[in-house]
Amino acid sequence: MASILIVEDEVAINELVKRNLQLVGHRCTSVFDGKAAVSEIQCQSYDLMILDIMLPSLDGFEVIKYANATPTILLTAKSSLPDRIKGFTMGADDFLPKPFEMLELLARVEAVLRRTQKSKNYFEAGDVKIDFDSHQVYQKGQLVECTPKEYQLLEVLVNNRNIALSRERLLELVWGYDFEGDTRTIDVHIQKLRKKLGWEDMIKTVYKLGYRLEVIR
Amino acid sequence: MKRRTFLTTLALFLFFFNLGIFIISVTMFKDTVSRTEERSLAEHYFIASALIKDFYTVERRGINIEGSLSSLLQPYSYLSVDKKAGLVLYHNNQPVYSNQNTLALQHNSMAVPKDGSRAATVQKTEKGTFVIVSGKLPAPYDPYTLIYTYDMTDAIRSWSYLKNILFMAGFAFSLFLAFCLLIILNRIFKPLKQISLTSKDIANGAYETRLTVYGHDELAEMAQSFNHMAEEIQHQMVALIDTADKKQQFIDNFAHELRTPLTAIYGYAEYMQKAVLTEDDRLSALDYVMSECRRLQTIAFQLLELANLKNDQIKYEDQNVSSLFERVEQTLYRKLSEKNILVEFRNEIETIRGDAALLESLLINLIDNAINASEKGKHVLVLATKETNKKMISIQDNGKGMPTEVLTQITEPFYRGEKSRNRNDGGAGLGLAICKQIALCHNAELSFASCPGEGTTAKITFTAS
Repeated sequence: MASILIVEDEVAINELVKRNLQLVGHRCTSVFDGKAAVSEIQCQSYDLMILDIMLPSLDGFEVIKYANATPTILLTAKSSLPDRIKGFTMGADDFLPKPFEMLELLARVEAVLRRTQKSKNYFEAGDVKIDFDSHQVYQKGQLVECTPKEYQLLEVLVNNRNIALSRERLLELVWGYDFEGDTRTIDVHIQKLRKKLGWEDMIKTVYKLGYRLEVIR
Repeated sequence: MKRRTFLTTLALFLFFFNLGIFIISVTMFKDTVSRTEERSLAEHYFIASALIKDFYTVERRGINIEGSLSSLLQPYSYLSVDKKAGLVLYHNNQPVYSNQNTLALQHNSMAVPKDGSRAATVQKTEKGTFVIVSGKLPAPYDPYTLIYTYDMTDAIRSWSYLKNILFMAGFAFSLFLAFCLLIILNRIFKPLKQISLTSKDIANGAYETRLTVYGHDELAEMAQSFNHMAEEIQHQMVALIDTADKKQQFIDNFAHELRTPLTAIYGYAEYMQKAVLTEDDRLSALDYVMSECRRLQTIAFQLLELANLKNDQIKYEDQNVSSLFERVEQTLYRKLSEKNILVEFRNEIETIRGDAALLESLLINLIDNAINASEKGKHVLVLATKETNKKMISIQDNGKGMPTEVLTQITEPFYRGEKSRNRNDGGAGLGLAICKQIALCHNAELSFASCPGEGTTAKITFTAS
């Protein structure tokens, strides 16, 4: 999907971000210092840059100056208010403090991509096509009727594909915090989705955890 | 204080000044009265003795005295040209002559001395103040009493006028004095006011405020010691702020140092829990988790070591420098051969007092830093020698060096020359902090000299042994 540049000097964290983004289908390039980042941006255009502030040779704020308006998410341990303000003033689109959670990273990436309209407005897997603009789902070109909640659940699963989501998290993301229903509501809706789309194999039940939409990368 | 001084001084002055004026007035009054009395007495005496002679002459001629009294007394009335003096003659308490009819004297109440002497009294009436001298004429004319009055109203008035002028001038002088006093007091109290203003400023945080010192008096001395105090306070504040900054820096760095491995460990754990993984993915993720754990372990261990060094008493023993160098070389052997760096040990002293393990760790740390700073094939010199009677070990490399502003901070815990806190060529950033602590335990001084691009020299100077 989107091509993303990851600028982070800690190898472990760079690799972690890269793996997480690859799960949902992004193409990632890793660089480990400021100068490499600048030269990478200048010879190739990226849809998004994930940028650490404290970098060797050239710090994150400097890198933004050369970013050629590439959408940027700052990922940093420097999360004091002045740093955040400076980041936004310099042109960052979002801010993610360390330590971060995988789902938050993906959600923010998704949000920034949607804003900057680099995100595709449809998703295809097998014979199923989901149109994010019109909220419609097609199977083999035939419209599949979905209730609003079923569609929302499907969208969450697609956006976090290849990642296991707990029932509680799904409830929170689709029904909201104040929903007082049972987690079995999720099971029921998942069953319906599986049946409607023929996704019995695609939506996996993860033991003791929840569900995962598995899509071949 | 100023007000009190002003009021006290002014009150004291006014009291004594007015007292003085009062005493002068009273004395002048008494003087005037007594002089008038004396004059009146003399006049009375003169008239009385002249009158007796006249009476005697008149009687010898055989003329009745009673009938010719007015013509006899008339000339004496002219004694007083200004009509201040008056004469009254009584015969057996009956007035027989008076040249001032208007004067109503209460002669009855006055006691006429029986023995023929004269008495002077001062009497105040609505008409004015009079001196009255009364006395009987000598025998054989003792039935006659001659009373001489003298009007001293004018004298009293002029005295009163003078007195009023004195008090008025006194009042004017008092005002002038109050004004002068105010100016002088203001002048005296000005430094005090300044001190109070300055101390208020200092209390409000403007520690650089100072008093201007002029003159060599007590106040100047006080101002000087005040300034000294302000300076000390400023120093202390700077030191406090500095310490607080260092602490904050330490905490920030510590947090960063913990947060990075924790982010990685949590992230990989989450990744392993939620994502579909191949065996390779799983193994490499586990690798990352383990190496980050090891990093946390190192930090914990080094922090503990640092804390222990600060608390523990170390054992001092004579350590053979050559064998110390040998052990260090053995420890570093693998790393040296990997990077192809030659470390030359040159030894000119025999022993050093200290703890073997700590000294070893100190040297290994410093040499390790030198190796990390050097490129392949470079050369590191470790030199033990005596410099101005002090034992000294120096480690000199030809590596990349450091700028001066970095040099002053490298012994702070968690400090890194690189702003990014990158750890590609270092540990947790506690190594030099530990070195400094070890040096402190040995009463040694750890100093660095460096030039970017040319290399760094670390020097341990033993001051005690």
